[in-house]
Amino acid sequence: MNETVLILDDSLTVRMDLAEAFDAARFRTLPCATAAEARELLAHEAIDVIILDVLLPDADGVEFLAELRSLPASAGVVVLMLSTEAEVRDRVRALKTGADEYVGKPYDARYVVSRAQELHRARTRTAGESTTILIIDDSATFREELRRACRVSGYEVLTAETGAEGLRLAATHRPNAIIVDGVLPDVDGGTVIRRLRLDAALRSTPCLLLTGTQDRQAELVALDAGADAFVRKEEDIAIVLARLAALLRSATSAKTEDTRSLSGPKKILAVDDSPTYLNELAKLLRNEGYDVVMARSGEEALELVTVQVVDCILLDLLMPGISGEETCRRIKSVPVVREVPIIMLTSLEDREAMINALGAGADDYIQKSSEFEVLIARVRAQIRRKQFEDENRNIRDQLLQKEIEAIEARAAAELSETRAVLVAELERKNRELEAFSYSVSHDLRTPLRGIDGFSRALLDDYQDKLDATGVNYLRRVRAAAQRMGELIDDLLELARVGRTELHRDHVNLSSMAEAITTSLAQRDPHRHVVVEISNGHEALADRRLMMAALENLFENAWKFTSRVAEPKIEFGTYDQYGVTVYFLRDNGSGFDMKYVEKLFKPFQRLHGEDDFPGTGIGLATVQRIIERHGGEVRAEGTVGGGATISFTLSSAFPPVTA
Amino acid sequence: MRGGLILLVEDQDDDVELTLRAFSQSNIANEIVVVRDGEEALDYLFTSGPYADRDPSLAPSVILLDLKLPKVSGLDVLRRIRADTRTRRLPVVVLTSSNEETDVKASYDLGANSFVRKPVDLAQFIEAAHHLGLYWLVLNEPVT
Repeated sequence: MNETVLILDDSLTVRMDLAEAFDAARFRTLPCATAAEARELLAHEAIDVIILDVLLPDADGVEFLAELRSLPASAGVVVLMLSTEAEVRDRVRALKTGADEYVGKPYDARYVVSRAQELHRARTRTAGESTTILIIDDSATFREELRRACRVSGYEVLTAETGAEGLRLAATHRPNAIIVDGVLPDVDGGTVIRRLRLDAALRSTPCLLLTGTQDRQAELVALDAGADAFVRKEEDIAIVLARLAALLRSATSAKTEDTRSLSGPKKILAVDDSPTYLNELAKLLRNEGYDVVMARSGEEALELVTVQVVDCILLDLLMPGISGEETCRRIKSVPVVREVPIIMLTSLEDREAMINALGAGADDYIQKSSEFEVLIARVRAQIRRKQFEDENRNIRDQLLQKEIEAIEARAAAELSETRAVLVAELERKNRELEAFSYSVSHDLRTPLRGIDGFSRALLDDYQDKLDATGVNYLRRVRAAAQRMGELIDDLLELARVGRTELHRDHVNLSSMAEAITTSLAQRDPHRHVVVEISNGHEALADRRLMMAALENLFENAWKFTSRVAEPKIEFGTYDQYGVTVYFLRDNGSGFDMKYVEKLFKPFQRLHGEDDFPGTGIGLATVQRIIERHGGEVRAEGTVGGGATISFTLSSAFPPVTA
Repeated sequence: MRGGLILLVEDQDDDVELTLRAFSQSNIANEIVVVRDGEEALDYLFTSGPYADRDPSLAPSVILLDLKLPKVSGLDVLRRIRADTRTRRLPVVVLTSSNEETDVKASYDLGANSFVRKPVDLAQFIEAAHHLGLYWLVLNEPVT
């Protein structure tokens, strides 16, 4: 699809001229004469580039620009300002308000079009995806309010309650901008920003610090931490949004400059106190296809270079105020800007002044009386030199970048190799463990079958040859073999619970409990236990594992109530601060709370084998099953007063507030 | 009770002895042929090697197959039985120590008719043998 350019200028000639030039460059053009018309068009059309005259019949161009920048829809649109005003102040004001380019009238239409294309290409490269904002604030109300406002403005929003969480989200989601509260429960806002600045990947993420105080120090603290901007919390949320839009814009335009083409249209800053000479010079340079920015003094020039990127500076040596020499020295002392070639202009044959200027860092000099062709040739030479240097630097940067990428790739490869080795090692260990438990399950049981089987054969066939003691001993041999078999089975079950995959499903624990108690009652028909199971306890859990857990718990309850007069087992749930707690209560022999820790450890038994038979693995298995579900299990009891086992699924017990 | 032949594939002497005892106590008087490893089982079934002279028309009524066997494993024996037209319809009961889920699944996947875990308690084993005998030798109509 073709790009759309909105041309807002009250002059019909300018509109027609630019429309024709943009048409030729295959743009869709929307010319209009007033800010009101432009607003109407902006509301209904998708616009990529705006050409904006500074003087409008119904508005001030720069103010209209500010309005555009405060709306998310047009905050990222490329805006080129056109102006007849040669005043440096206007240019600086426009560029600071967020103009991507500022072109003086009379303009060169080809320059305007190619610059617009260049800026638009750079913008679409950097702003392909949606804009994500990370909000870090511990106040749920403010967070929600800001989140909603950002969403309405068309941003994607992530929120974090603490600094630590915010840093984590920033690392994983790489947001386009971060709004962080200065006061947070853990890591404060300033520290969050400082940590971001230490991270190579997040270093350039724009940060907006929110301060809650009227404290004058707030700004200092914010800037000290490296925040790009700060806003007081009590200010209107619209102000937060406007600052945010400005931050995002400067972040993308910074990238734009980086990607500025070396062979694109060139801009020359001409500095001279004589308007006549300046106008003459500008006219000649424009005819050569250069865009010219004019400044009348060293002060203006210095102010300009901080906001306007130029390719070459022509600097008059003798000027009122800051001299050409001093201006040159100051420009050459600023990083980035110092690389712009400076050609000193002089009307007199003052060798000493020239030498001083060159000493101050000027790249070349020329006499004003020289032929214009000579001047142009020198300008071209300087721009070409600068271009070679830039190209060389780009090549060096690319080589360095490739080297870094190679190192990163090597590191990543090493890391994945290490990981693969670890994974292989883990898999090997798992296989070994499986083989071990498989062999336990097969081989350990085989001799037990022999012991039990032949003991029984002896009892069956040779009982008449044994006395009562002999028969008793053989029975004990059999009992021991069978117990050993149970131990092996329980141990295998415990190992299996730890390694099988969890398949969560809707499980009705109540009906599961019913089935278990029915089968217990059938096995033990002489016992009469009162069982109370409340209905409809559903859980999202692994059916097989929950069956094993409940079986263990009910078998225990069944066992430990075998010596009380009116045995009773109860299964139900209650809610504790929003968490469902399941419990199984019995009135059996109970246990001493001082041994509660031992209860869930394998092979730990609190009762003699003669009192209550068992392997001591059941509760360890139950605990492992509950933990596999992300839950927690607890036991409570008194000696002779019964026991209650409670457990949660999917979350721990909530803390009990005293 | 029919006079079908039972093929017991089992390498452990103790288990052979106890299995035979369990069958006799369950009043199963069928002839029981014992082979000691997977290879011998296959030789017997396909009348090769030491069993080359056996009458191939006398197929066993049921095969009781241990999984952990020397030479050819129980699962491989089962695979060969199911792959051959001569034996693919023979009832095979896997009789083994473990009840590892992988064993149970693999056995059924390969076409075992039943999976019985050898219990430590002989009484339970006798009961299991009793059911096995009843089902496979009396109730189940073999495919002819």
